[in-house]
Amino acid sequence: MYRKQVRRRRAVLALLIVGSFALLTATYGQGSDGVQRGVSAIFNPILSVADRALKPARDLVNWFDETFEAKGRNERLQRELETAREQAVGGKAALAENEQLKKLVGLDESGAIPSGYTPVTGRVIARSPTVWFADVMIDVGSGDGVEVDDPVVNGDGLVGTVAAVTGGSAQVTLIADHSSAISAKIVPSGIQGLMKPAVGDPDDLILDFLDSEKRVGKGQSVVTSGWRAQGIESGYPPNLPIGEVVEASLLEQEAQQQVHIRPFADLRNLDVVQVLTGGSRG
Amino acid sequence: MILTPNILARLVAILVGGVILQLSFFSQVALFHVSPDLLPALVVVLGLLGGSLTGAVCGFWAGFLLDCLLIVPLGGGSLVLLATGYLAGTFRERFEIHSPLVPPLLCMGLTLFAELGFGAVELMLGFDAPVSALVIRDVLLKSVFAFFGGWAIYVGVRRALRPALVEEPMVRRGRRPTVLGV
Repeated sequence: MYRKQVRRRRAVLALLIVGSFALLTATYGQGSDGVQRGVSAIFNPILSVADRALKPARDLVNWFDETFEAKGRNERLQRELETAREQAVGGKAALAENEQLKKLVGLDESGAIPSGYTPVTGRVIARSPTVWFADVMIDVGSGDGVEVDDPVVNGDGLVGTVAAVTGGSAQVTLIADHSSAISAKIVPSGIQGLMKPAVGDPDDLILDFLDSEKRVGKGQSVVTSGWRAQGIESGYPPNLPIGEVVEASLLEQEAQQQVHIRPFADLRNLDVVQVLTGGSRG
Repeated sequence: MILTPNILARLVAILVGGVILQLSFFSQVALFHVSPDLLPALVVVLGLLGGSLTGAVCGFWAGFLLDCLLIVPLGGGSLVLLATGYLAGTFRERFEIHSPLVPPLLCMGLTLFAELGFGAVELMLGFDAPVSALVIRDVLLKSVFAFFGGWAIYVGVRRALRPALVEEPMVRRGRRPTVLGV
């Protein structure tokens, strides 16, 4: 009787292990399949309700975390404020000039959303729990016009790209995910490189393979380069803000051709994002 | 664990509730810049209360649901969490250690195992990005959170599944005799 039980237990365990490997083999690199679409369709409304209901509690916990951090940030922000004040005067003049130039070339009023793209606003309803992959689920999907590879932004800058869609939800792979690689350039110098994350630290992105003899300085902004060549093009439109250079040691630039970037978007606390749907695809 | 339809329904509710709470609450809050991952702790508790088979099956389905809702390749989460649940259940079956510290310590240790397991699965599937040293901090802090969270989860789940648990009856310890025999 006991042996029979042990045998049955082993059989179930073996079945589960084989099942897991079979699922991995069958679904790896396939995007969302029928089972996932079905489960998502059932649970997404529940996730959405839970997300809204738990927001006050989340905000409370995050408030404690931010309070600890705020003490350290205060001094740095004071210094940054002084610098920003000095730059503001010059910035206003540049803005006025920019507005005129935009009118001249007939661009949109703001220019924040690249032409040809339609933003679809969504809320983050779930987030992956492990540090090894940085994915979030948002409550808009193919029914709202969202497609795989659409870029995702928030008010601060680029957040990630759509990796899989179901009818009412989409999986967004954040720029801090290990699978993310974005061609980016430093402005205003125009130095190009490939941006990869340092897994485990969403505040540290690495701009690698810098293709220039020019030196990159701390504080310079990084935007998407949005290249186009021989009928294919980058999945990201040009000039979406990504972050700023926070570490650019001469040694690292010369030996490894890389600098460190802090993203503008707070990838740990995402709430509302915009998917840039449409646009041209190569 | 004695499985009746009622207990099965409770188990399903605990698993589904746990996964939803993890995705919509714990994964989106940060304490010391790290989001708690209490799903492995939940699976550990189910393994501790129900044995290795219950732990493995619960882990498999928790991982399956997690992968489905995150639209990531199915099977990775299942594999890691079924191993976590199985190990917790095996601990219960092999060792006769009755201490209130066992559930939280096991939750801590096996959460560490699960986080490293998730990393191993990602490496197996292809991983071509540098890994920050902060991963170590993240994994260790998640384990510490699991220690505290695991204790609370153990108390809650044990209460919810009490009718199904096979436990030795509590033996009330008598008063030790005093010198005067009073």
